[in-house]
Amino acid sequence: MADLISSPRRTFLKLAGAGLGAGLLPAAGRAASPALVSAAKHEGQLNTIALPPDWANYGEIIATFQKKYGITIHNAAPDDSSAQELQSIRSLKHQSRGPDVVDVGPAFALNGAQEGLFRPYKVATWDSIPASMKDPNGLWYGDYFGLVSFGINRSVSKAVPHDWADLKKPEFKGMVALNGSPLGAGAAFAAVVAAALANGGSLDNIMPGIEFFADLAKRGNFNPSAATAASLVSGQTPVVINWDYLNLAQAKKAKGMTPIDTVIPEGATPYGAFYCQAISKFAPHPKAAELWQEFIYSDEGQLLYLKGFAHPARFSAMAKAGAIPKSLMAELPPAKPYGEAVFANDAQTKKAQQLLAANWTKLVKA
Amino acid sequence: MRGVLGRLLPEAWLGLLGLYFLVPLLATGAFSLWEGGSRYGFAAYVALFHQPKLWQSLFLSVRLAVETILLGLIVLVPAVFWLNLRVPRLRPVFDFISVLPFVVPPIALVAGMTALYTGPDWLVGTPNYLVIPYVILALPYTYRALDLGMRVLDLRTMTEASQSLGAGWGTLIFRVVVPNLTTALLGAALLTIAIVMGEFTFANILLFNTFAVYINYVGQTSATQASALTLLSFLITWLAMLGVLVSGRGGRSVQIGGAR
Amino acid sequence: MSFRFKAGEGGGLTLAFVGPLVVYVIAFLVLPTLMLLAEAFSGKHGLTLKYVAALGQGQTVVAFRNSLVLSALAALVGVIAGGIAAYLVLRPGMPRGVRSLVTSFSAVAANFAGVPLAFAFIATLGSLGIITVWLKSVGVDLYGMGFSLYSLPGLVLVYAYFQIPLMIIVFTPALEALRREWREAAENLGASAFDYWRHVGLPILLPSLLSAFILLFGNAFSAYATPYALTSGIVALVPVEISNVLSGNVMISQQTGAALALGMIVVMVAVMGVYALAARRIGRWGRR
Repeated sequence: MADLISSPRRTFLKLAGAGLGAGLLPAAGRAASPALVSAAKHEGQLNTIALPPDWANYGEIIATFQKKYGITIHNAAPDDSSAQELQSIRSLKHQSRGPDVVDVGPAFALNGAQEGLFRPYKVATWDSIPASMKDPNGLWYGDYFGLVSFGINRSVSKAVPHDWADLKKPEFKGMVALNGSPLGAGAAFAAVVAAALANGGSLDNIMPGIEFFADLAKRGNFNPSAATAASLVSGQTPVVINWDYLNLAQAKKAKGMTPIDTVIPEGATPYGAFYCQAISKFAPHPKAAELWQEFIYSDEGQLLYLKGFAHPARFSAMAKAGAIPKSLMAELPPAKPYGEAVFANDAQTKKAQQLLAANWTKLVKA
Repeated sequence: MRGVLGRLLPEAWLGLLGLYFLVPLLATGAFSLWEGGSRYGFAAYVALFHQPKLWQSLFLSVRLAVETILLGLIVLVPAVFWLNLRVPRLRPVFDFISVLPFVVPPIALVAGMTALYTGPDWLVGTPNYLVIPYVILALPYTYRALDLGMRVLDLRTMTEASQSLGAGWGTLIFRVVVPNLTTALLGAALLTIAIVMGEFTFANILLFNTFAVYINYVGQTSATQASALTLLSFLITWLAMLGVLVSGRGGRSVQIGGAR
Repeated sequence: MSFRFKAGEGGGLTLAFVGPLVVYVIAFLVLPTLMLLAEAFSGKHGLTLKYVAALGQGQTVVAFRNSLVLSALAALVGVIAGGIAAYLVLRPGMPRGVRSLVTSFSAVAANFAGVPLAFAFIATLGSLGIITVWLKSVGVDLYGMGFSLYSLPGLVLVYAYFQIPLMIIVFTPALEALRREWREAAENLGASAFDYWRHVGLPILLPSLLSAFILLFGNAFSAYATPYALTSGIVALVPVEISNVLSGNVMISQQTGAALALGMIVVMVAVMGVYALAARRIGRWGRR
């Protein structure tokens, strides 16, 4: 199995461009084959897990799929972590209630593939998914990615930080929070890596990121509680470092209740991560699962992700083909950071985890 | 020292404790009534009541709680009775077993159980399957409640007296011992209810929609509704417990004569 | 500790009474636990001690120490505060309604933990909480003075919210065993309240107090949702570390999680050992 190669966004833009000719067709074409649709309809239902409605617009994606194909989706356990998703596959593998598809982080995609939990499938638009975001054997494939961003509750925090150094200013005392521990929560982990990139570190050495947060804590700006939508909106954690699509979705939802700004930190290489789709090897409804993937990776599905402010995997291919409506582009943050974003590969992630395990609780004291 | 201060001290202490428990709830309540800006109202509560999933998951959890209590008591009462009556030397074993659920991570317990026991389908595929691990999760609390209740009884005298009057083990347990255990039984039942209503990991991984799973889901979608739901569930559970207590007591006085 | 199963009534009856519990526990607790522990020793190429050895490294040791201290403190606070509260509520002067109210509230509060509890406390005493802000407006800067909800003492404060009610529920039957007559007899003999407690009340209650302490200790020891929501794992605690590696979103390591759980079991066994020793020494009075 190929390791993920660390690739700046520009590189996989080029890769995607190379695959363009083979994989891209006009938005209306390349729908799922009628045979697949009828086989899926025959199965009648799809079991999904860990898809919160406000996460990357999954609420609308699920609703659209149900309406379009008349297949009921049972969406369970919206708060499942990636590890719990894999456990659900294992625990329910002989039952018809087991999950058909999962949406997990890259480390877990690799883990699940190794363990033999997934069945391979390549969607019709396979070629326009960047090579660094998919398993060559079709066991898992990235669906969307996001960048580390700051979400600011404007009614509590008068000031708005624009880069990492701003967070250290005294006006943010007690305000800056992560969504959990960098050893357990994906966005928190990404925040530390992003802070490292902004402070002289690299994907191979995230120590400056840990030191950044240690300093933030010493100044009293770091709020250790695990930020949630509730704590951002209520103002208990007015500055939350989280995925851009989550902060933006919260801002949209809280419109009328409280103003929330989303800022991609400037002056540093933007850092992001993607999530991966996979079909369970024990899927009780395999055809419905395949139809789901076809839908997700069709232009329609990918645009729904974008509507939820999550950049879909086929973003560059679709942008080049002009498949993205201008009105949608206008709602998104400026495109520049997305072109420059970097992702860590598996080896770098493991190294970062070890550094965190040895140093996070030692150095960061609130 | 007696005197005014001595008389007031207990009340002051209870008052302080009461504040400690009340204020965080009030803070949650204040947030649940917030509708944005400086508007306050019951919008969150109204939205909650209209969700059928709320009631479905609530009833499911209540049903599971009752089943867990029954199964737990059936398994535990005879064992703790025997422990206190005849085999006090087994106490260290019991004590260790009773704290084991504390140190096994729930997700590991799920993994182990589902790997070991894959059938029968009529049990494993239904939420009733949850009752089995729930009894284990409640074990530390129910065991201790029952044990503390039984160890202050004079079981030997009770047993000898009953058996000399011709009673069998069943009569002894159900008609002599159990009536003296009301407080402990109620405590065990109440704790079990609370545990089952709050249990999340097992239900989540096995994809059952219990009340705790629902609360978590609401927390994902609406901040104020989550706070409203927290308070509501607190209140509902409190009223339910009160009901159980009042009916369980049935007007009987606490001071039971006899060996205590 | 030896126990012989006598043939006939003794052994058979023991099996009948205790058997179901033993079978149940073995099937649904011990076996899954053994499977977990096996993971702690399994590496890519067979048995290995590397995961267990890793328990000795820096922050893991800190986590175990923190967990021990936090659980002991939280248990102590629960036993003392809860014990006093239970006693006060049970006094003859109290209207019976108060007792039902307190007991039912305790049953609910005993399991009010995790995200809702953390949120409630953050909203109250967090750096931007209601009380914090109010105190600041009258000139008292809590966080400036060094108080922090996000520290070990802060956690003890929050843990008390479910420890005290647990104590009340579990300890009330033991308190009920203190017969009023004993108090009256002691007073008739000239004992003051202090003397009564020192020579009669506390000695009778001590075994139950210890037993309750163990329960509260275990309860606090295993808590992970509350400290995680409150501190995101800033205060190193073993259950949080376990949850990170077993059910997190960043890394997965069954073996590390299993090794940590093994460590927790060892700690618990040690605590139980101390408890058993203490119980045996003071339990002679009143033990049948």
